[in-house]
Amino acid sequence: MHVLVPVKRVVDYNVRVRVRSDGSGVDTAGLKMSINPFDEVAVEQAVRLRQAGQASRVTVVACGAAVAQDVLRTALAMGADAAILLDPGSAEGDTPALAEALSRLVQREGVDLVLCGKQAIDDDLGDLAPMLAALLDWPQAMSVNRLEAVDGGLRVHCDGDLGLEQWRLPLPTVLGVDLRLCDPRAVSLPNMMKAKKAPITTLALDGLASDQAARFSVIRCTTPPARAAGVRLDGTAQLLERLRGLPAFGA
Amino acid sequence: MQSYDAIVIGAGVIGSSVAYHLARLGAARVLVLDRLQIGSGTSTQSSGILRTHYSVIENVELAKRSWSVFNDFAGYLGDEEASAGLVKCGYLICAPEGPKLDPLRTALAGQERMGVEVRLLDQAAARELLPIARFDDAALIGYEPEAGFADAYLVATGFARAARRLGVKIMEGVNVERLLVENGRVVGVETSQGSFHSQTVISTQNIWAGDIERWTGVPTPVKAERHAVLALEGPEAYSFKMPVFKDLGSPGMLYCRSYGGNQMLVSEGTVGETLALPDNEQGDISMDYVVEVGGQVAERFPSFGEAGLASSWTGVYDVTPDWNPVLGRLPDVPGLVVGYGFSGHGFKLSPGVGLVLAQEALGLPTEVSLAPYAHERFRSGQLLTGRYGLGAVS
Repeated sequence: MHVLVPVKRVVDYNVRVRVRSDGSGVDTAGLKMSINPFDEVAVEQAVRLRQAGQASRVTVVACGAAVAQDVLRTALAMGADAAILLDPGSAEGDTPALAEALSRLVQREGVDLVLCGKQAIDDDLGDLAPMLAALLDWPQAMSVNRLEAVDGGLRVHCDGDLGLEQWRLPLPTVLGVDLRLCDPRAVSLPNMMKAKKAPITTLALDGLASDQAARFSVIRCTTPPARAAGVRLDGTAQLLERLRGLPAFGA
Repeated sequence: MQSYDAIVIGAGVIGSSVAYHLARLGAARVLVLDRLQIGSGTSTQSSGILRTHYSVIENVELAKRSWSVFNDFAGYLGDEEASAGLVKCGYLICAPEGPKLDPLRTALAGQERMGVEVRLLDQAAARELLPIARFDDAALIGYEPEAGFADAYLVATGFARAARRLGVKIMEGVNVERLLVENGRVVGVETSQGSFHSQTVISTQNIWAGDIERWTGVPTPVKAERHAVLALEGPEAYSFKMPVFKDLGSPGMLYCRSYGGNQMLVSEGTVGETLALPDNEQGDISMDYVVEVGGQVAERFPSFGEAGLASSWTGVYDVTPDWNPVLGRLPDVPGLVVGYGFSGHGFKLSPGVGLVLAQEALGLPTEVSLAPYAHERFRSGQLLTGRYGLGAVS
């Protein structure tokens, strides 16, 4: 089983993000950047499958400028076998284009399982895995928090609308994984040194995706409004009155 | 119009300590203003090392007084729930043959003269204290039992709570926009929430001390410097009983301490990355840097050559040209007392600095002379440069 894990370079979760003064996006200059935590879990799961002999190869892929190699090196240090950087050139590289490129890559590389993080912590869209599954016409399961390889397929636990769902999926398939799936390992110093020297293949995004026209455009980026201060009420009568006035009570 | 005996700008470890000491010394109406929250600036990014080892002898006195407070934080504050999170594990420092050897010998002798207990250890004795390290290159090893590390957030909030109990008012989320000056004298501050009046304003603004220059025209010789800290998970424990360790033999003059369990907190004690603007946000730490520092750690702690990176973060120092703080009045601006430029070693001095700045602000004699720390030294050239070169040892 060849596992592909798309990873994204995002602003670290410990950083308080700041919007550029012209509203064109988030200011990331000099800030701590990391592998998207959901993707890190996906890498960990993929490496565990390989270490358990259930997967034969783990390839990680990131899309972005040369700096995105950071997260690929982190994934290599965690135990991935190969890394590919998709260079978008001057293209905006939105998710549909990326999903299309990945679908071609999946076919070209003979991938049996795509493990995505269920969302990236920068845009929280969670759109890549479903789009990729649709383009490949493969089954998909999202918000996976438990995974076992059984009888040539997978058994997974997912969060569903009505509670926990259990699915059996044949391969090939696309999964979007949750943070609870497993705890990523601490990357060791010797593995970092090896990862620094490991080759990273660079492919042009436009060689894989036919349609580069951006379907998304950012209109404006703003900081969410500050949370309003709490109010002190004089007693339960006032509290009940307030509660009755809330939209949920049909006021 | 609200009027106060003293206004403190900044509620980090230094500002909170100043406020507490002002109240303790009898100031009835004290106001503290913080742009965000208590300890949320650079204080909580501190590695929390406590030692009295300094090559600049003036600092030994401040550090010694501060240590006695950390050592009995609850008793000093009269608050039995207060805790500095102190781990009293001692401080071990070593140097190989070379340029750091003489400065170390001199600094250890200086500490002894100041009445600090310092032991010179041979390699075997050092290994007993810190069995995970090797000392075969060490030409001189000093050990200070009354040292360790503590938690800067607990200390800032501990001082703040004790200050509030003595009647100090602490306002969070208030940005000081300018200093109010009348006839050349400070009369208060203008803030995002109105004006507050006082004949005495104490600025403890760390990397944001550049505000003083904007408000008064008096140069603030301080720059914001970002330093990275790593938590490495090794194959064996770096227990709370093992001392903080300063490695003068490593290229980065590393300092290390226990971070609980098998984890070691480690950082370089050299020059960091200068930021164009004061900013305590988390900066990027490259894998190259981690490998570089990890390599230095492995030289000293062989088993940590296999260590994993458990976490990493950055903190920002307010660095002056001689890596020592500016403390006291600014003669050109009557009514203004400043404490900034701690250059990465302010936490260990915070109780003592809070006391002497409060004494200075109230016109009382200071228990430690502030003359060596005067702003004037950057004009007169009487700098407090340490003997280890630039870096936070001082």
